[in-house]
Amino acid sequence: MFKRIVDVVEVLAAVCAVVFVILLFVDKAPGTKVVTSATASPYASGDGSSGSSSATTAAPGLDGKALFGDNCAVCHGASGQGGTGPQLSGGRTKAQFPDARTQVLFVSNGAGIMPAFKTRLSQAEIKAIVDYTRTL
Amino acid sequence: MATAQRSTARTSPVRAGLAVPLAVGAVVAVALGVYGRVHDGTHRSLFTLFFSGTINLKTWFATAALVCGLFQVLSALRLYGKLPVPRTMPDWLGQAHRLSGTLAFLFSLPVAYHCLWSLGYAPSGSSTRVVLHSLFGCLFYGAFAAKVVIVRSRGMPDWALPVVGGTTFALLVLLWYTSALWFFNNVGFPRI
Repeated sequence: MFKRIVDVVEVLAAVCAVVFVILLFVDKAPGTKVVTSATASPYASGDGSSGSSSATTAAPGLDGKALFGDNCAVCHGASGQGGTGPQLSGGRTKAQFPDARTQVLFVSNGAGIMPAFKTRLSQAEIKAIVDYTRTL
Repeated sequence: MATAQRSTARTSPVRAGLAVPLAVGAVVAVALGVYGRVHDGTHRSLFTLFFSGTINLKTWFATAALVCGLFQVLSALRLYGKLPVPRTMPDWLGQAHRLSGTLAFLFSLPVAYHCLWSLGYAPSGSSTRVVLHSLFGCLFYGAFAAKVVIVRSRGMPDWALPVVGGTTFALLVLLWYTSALWFFNNVGFPRI
């Protein structure tokens, strides 16, 4: 009986290996989409401005750079140069998110392999990080 | 003279036999590396199950694969008589050994997929850790493929399976060290 179970699991593993190889070549595989400024929030403005009233306000005294170092640098690099996560420095953040509020939503809710930070950080902390990354 | 000829005849098929699994392993490793280099990482995620994020899933699945791999090594040592415990060889140990290896492979697949398909092979700007992890990943599957071929082949030298099996496990440890352990140390534990 145990041997039969093991045989079944081995067949399953072989099938999974085939599926794995097939999925490697499927660029349009279903999955969470990466949020871009074009697809995100109803608050996104088209002219690239951050808007007169932001959805959240960074609390005074929050160090965006320190928060970035503690939460984001592991993937995006200490200076935002990239690594596991994409490069943020060199104006890439602003190019990806012309509207800061869209970026706040992206960081809050996550997308793809980017985790959702709203469960770990307050909105004010997220805003502080976003403000910092937009200076890189 | 006849003895020397028979000895040569025995070693030549052995060398030829080993060439096949080694070639299979090399093809698999190189193919994955080429794919990772050529493919632009999608930065998407296929699933996260109950984990808070993809990287969390990958970390824990890699750890599960390592645990299964560790059991496979220990069970192999017992099957080969290198470990004295358990004193009486259980009937189910051989099948458990097979199962643990298969489970390690199954746990590794979603991790590898979300590495290769989502991120690619050592994207530009990657740290040394990421470059090494990418290399170990390709070598791991190459070694695994070679091991599968050896297991299912006849006439292989006795040392072939332990050597390839040990190499596969060593690469799995290095993979875990450059990913899951790094995550636990730098991001936090358990961070499910």
